[in-house]
Amino acid sequence: MMEKEKLIEVKDVQISFGSGRKKFVAVDHVNFDIYKGETFSLVGESGSGKTTIGRAILRINPTSAGDILFKGQKINGKISKKLDREVIRKIQMIFQDPQASLNERAKVDYIISEGLYNFKLYKDNRDKTRKVQEALKGVGLLPEFASRFPHEFSGGQRQRIGIARALIMDPEFVVADEPISALDVSIRAQVLNLLNRLKAEKGLTYLFIAHDLSVVKYISDRIAVIYEGRIVELAETEELFAHPLHPYTKALLSAIPIPDPVYEKQKKLLVYDPSMHDYSVDQPAWIEIKEGHFVYGNKAEIEGYRKELE
Amino acid sequence: MENKDIILSAKDVEIEFSLRGKKLKAIRKCSLDIYRGETLAIVGESGSGKSVFTKSFIGMLDSNGYITNGEIMCDGRDIAKFKTEKEWRTLRGKKISMVMQDPMTSLNPLKKIGVQIKEAIELHRGVKGAEAKDIAIEMLRKVGIPEPERRYNQYPHEFSGGMRQRVVIAIAVSCNPEILICDEPTTALDVTIQAQILDLIRKLKEELNMTVIYITHDLGVVANVADRVAVMYAGQIVEYGLAEEIFFDAWHPYTWALLSALPQLGEKGEELEAIEGTPPNLFVEIKGDAFAPRNKRALAIDFVKEPPFFDITETHKAKTWYLDPRCPKFERPSNIVNYREIIRRKVY
Repeated sequence: MMEKEKLIEVKDVQISFGSGRKKFVAVDHVNFDIYKGETFSLVGESGSGKTTIGRAILRINPTSAGDILFKGQKINGKISKKLDREVIRKIQMIFQDPQASLNERAKVDYIISEGLYNFKLYKDNRDKTRKVQEALKGVGLLPEFASRFPHEFSGGQRQRIGIARALIMDPEFVVADEPISALDVSIRAQVLNLLNRLKAEKGLTYLFIAHDLSVVKYISDRIAVIYEGRIVELAETEELFAHPLHPYTKALLSAIPIPDPVYEKQKKLLVYDPSMHDYSVDQPAWIEIKEGHFVYGNKAEIEGYRKELE
Repeated sequence: MENKDIILSAKDVEIEFSLRGKKLKAIRKCSLDIYRGETLAIVGESGSGKSVFTKSFIGMLDSNGYITNGEIMCDGRDIAKFKTEKEWRTLRGKKISMVMQDPMTSLNPLKKIGVQIKEAIELHRGVKGAEAKDIAIEMLRKVGIPEPERRYNQYPHEFSGGMRQRVVIAIAVSCNPEILICDEPTTALDVTIQAQILDLIRKLKEELNMTVIYITHDLGVVANVADRVAVMYAGQIVEYGLAEEIFFDAWHPYTWALLSALPQLGEKGEELEAIEGTPPNLFVEIKGDAFAPRNKRALAIDFVKEPPFFDITETHKAKTWYLDPRCPKFERPSNIVNYREIIRRKVY
């Protein structure tokens, strides 16, 4: 735990849209580090801001406060052109919907190599073709697919093309935004295996954004639970599932359907009611309650959580 | 489940689609009995025909699709023979109703929520005006929408995804149907909302004495709702039985594959057991067991002859040669035999 290298540091970040009276704060006071080589997951419902955070790391959404550091360098706000290009190259994204994220009018060859064009990462056309074919093979597709159009592929294959496009740039950090939620059950396992294999082969670090906790449990090392733009709990996967503290985490865990008909039919659903917190006097804070286990709460709540842990 | 009163019975149904002059056989001899008061889940990957099969119960096949064979008996009538919309209208709404997958597209964005519910009520219940409006507001309250009087006059864009799905459910049950078909009702929703919607459907089922058919690919949802499960692959039902029998004592290799691919069963750092290959091309005639090419443990006969259904228990049947007494001795995969223990160990 001690000597892990921090690849991404997110410090007190706030992201807002609009300005003046229309200003809307989507994400506030977000703090987490992602260590090199781990899979870090952000879990929350739609509209909670998990994708917004991922996009902020990629510099797609500007931040309105706080810092985001990549390998110790600040990458949000105004940065030099050189660093900007490095960030674009080293941080890549895999999108949710393979039906919507590929250019329908471009051939697979162009879709995958667009990043190479932009960065002149190839010597000549032969070199480029070779790179594209290798990328295709790397994700388990045939090299001759390069001359086809996206509509000729199934959902799982399209998602593989999306992964190949991200990985041809040789990134160090990949933001995977719900990469399997649009896929069919039988394909999900294939894509999860592929992501895990590529991570081991290329030494990648993932930020995995998802709402399905059963998948997250399988793939991630650490999990942050986000509710309405605020991270409410962060811990290692086993710790979070064994000792969930924040009531929202508990509600979320109780809502995952377990494929066991006997258990499912007698389970009790916990519903999270945000008005249960009384933060009027006792101000909440982001506290490390146990090594590596963070939770958001005020003094009274933290006391309660401590008791629960014992 | 004691007195088995069959509410709908499909027998040897075959459905074909004609696509640019070619014939696609989407459903190949499917038989299924649905009992009054049960919740049946139909599971399978996309393209397995689960939606097409159930859509044929309500006459909502796309215009290039036809039932070419078999019968679907409901209320003493063979609805597979229905031709005109007029015939279907005697059935839809009152007898069978449907909740679609995506609440974003199944409501008309230009009409107020209330009007859309009222429309269904006026069409099927024979009441008009203020009376229909009262029923509509009552329905909104029933599906758990707060302040139904105010919400009645709002448009779909003012509702969240979960609330919209509640409205769609309100429309579907507004005419007290006997059978409610839910086609992936929660795939577009968040887990917390999903749990609430499943609860709501369960509650309504009790209240209105409905029979519910779920179409889904999420085995977690199946475990939550289903009394009985039917597994579909390549246009055929390959195994069906009580939920416990399907989860804890599966026999068809495709059911094994679906269960083994669950991430809940995976150990971190190890590969998941993915199903390799793709479903068969339905344009060509399928020989033998359709799943055989993707089955690592396929028998030689699987490629030659289509297996019949074998009984495992009175309620549990599977279409696989493994159950034939002449089948050579074999062991089912260990994670299927020990499924219950593995899930127990992982979850609690």
